[in-house]
Amino acid sequence: MTNNPIVKGKLVCVALNDSDQFNAMQAEFGEAPYKSAPTQPVLYFKPHNTWSTEGAEVEWAVTEGQPAEEMVVGASLAVVFGKECCRVSPEEALDYVGGYTLVHDFSLPEKSYYRPDIKGKCLDGSAPIGGAVVPASDIADPQSLTVATKVNGETVNEMPLSRSVRSVAELISTISYIMTLQPGEVIAVAFPGQRAAVAKGDKVTSEIAGVVSLNNQLGQ
Amino acid sequence: MKHARVLLNGSELDVTVEDNGQLKSKADGQLINEADVTWLSPIKEPGTIFALGLNYADHARELAFEPPKEPLVFLKGTNTLTGNKQNAYRPDNIDFQHYECELVAVIGKEGKNISREDAMDYIAGYTVCNDFAIRDYLENYYRPNLRVKSRDSLLPIGPWLIDKDDVGDISDLKVTTHVNGELTQDGTTADIIFDVPFLVEYLSKIMTLKPGDMIATGTPEGLKDMQPGDTVVCEIEKIGALTTYIVSEQEFYGDKY
Repeated sequence: MTNNPIVKGKLVCVALNDSDQFNAMQAEFGEAPYKSAPTQPVLYFKPHNTWSTEGAEVEWAVTEGQPAEEMVVGASLAVVFGKECCRVSPEEALDYVGGYTLVHDFSLPEKSYYRPDIKGKCLDGSAPIGGAVVPASDIADPQSLTVATKVNGETVNEMPLSRSVRSVAELISTISYIMTLQPGEVIAVAFPGQRAAVAKGDKVTSEIAGVVSLNNQLGQ
Repeated sequence: MKHARVLLNGSELDVTVEDNGQLKSKADGQLINEADVTWLSPIKEPGTIFALGLNYADHARELAFEPPKEPLVFLKGTNTLTGNKQNAYRPDNIDFQHYECELVAVIGKEGKNISREDAMDYIAGYTVCNDFAIRDYLENYYRPNLRVKSRDSLLPIGPWLIDKDDVGDISDLKVTTHVNGELTQDGTTADIIFDVPFLVEYLSKIMTLKPGDMIATGTPEGLKDMQPGDTVVCEIEKIGALTTYIVSEQEFYGDKY
């Protein structure tokens, strides 16, 4: 388990922010246990035991004493705060971003969004972040970026930020009214709704073309 | 021994709390009056904050839930932490915000796959928290979600961390809350469904636990709405009493409101 110098304090992830997934789940949202569609961003923490780095090997999950049958990965643009961010409007939100990078969220398959998914999401070393943090001034419009993920060289996911339910600026604003964010804290804003299955030993590479890439390999 | 952290003349100070209530600087032994300090969270480098939902048999009944068969665990951000005798805010335009008086076990040693039998070796000590919730914001997604449970100031904790051995058996401690002097919550840790050794085993099977991680073990029945101006005191026998002052959102955030 490798701690990460990029993230400090909190790593907040946003689920259900891929409009393809969000639209496809409308009927399911109406049923138990959800009963109605979410009116707010659906958020979860990746706690500090999960933080890891560019190049790190990601442990294969063990559940109930046995190697997990399946693991999945999603990649997201990661917003790294440059200054304290408390109760800001969407219009001023991007002024609080110090830089952008990538996060991999390795987990057990996402089966339900009803209860906090501690078993699936809190695996040691399951949130590599990096490799570099690109200064916010180099990115005019984060909504124009696309995050692509390859497993063993084959493209498994492409998530244009333009497909998000909520924009980066809107998310920063909403979250900043729930919790004050400090420099070095991170929000992972948009994972593809369809996570990619991975196997032991797989190489996972995510990239925002020409901006930043993140490489990890699953352990055995 | 009771370990606390305070602000004195703008500087953070590690202190012990003597039996007479006086504070003693760990650095130089200087005695300090409580009246001269601001209490901080007693955990210097807070790690992961685990909290338990529906972990008292009586509280699960109160909310008309079947007691869970597996712990209902959620995580809280460190932005929620504040110390004893500090302000916590009530958001504008809500109907129901309640306190939750909880025993907190603080991890003192790193470990993974810890057995129930060994679990207490990994506990440094205990403190008290008030795990406020805004019930208006509950939605059935990662319930209870961060909007309900991870707001600034809404996890007062303290006043101190007391060493495990100074408390001894934690299986039947009185858990009480007073609002403006009136007793509103009156339970015992004997009603806890998943106890501290169980939770250490359960969580450490999933992930590595580290010093500074905290497990807030849930609350007994007795929910009551809070309003600005209220004073809430959460107390756990042998551990301590934690006082919180409820203020409005505008008063709490001041210029940032």
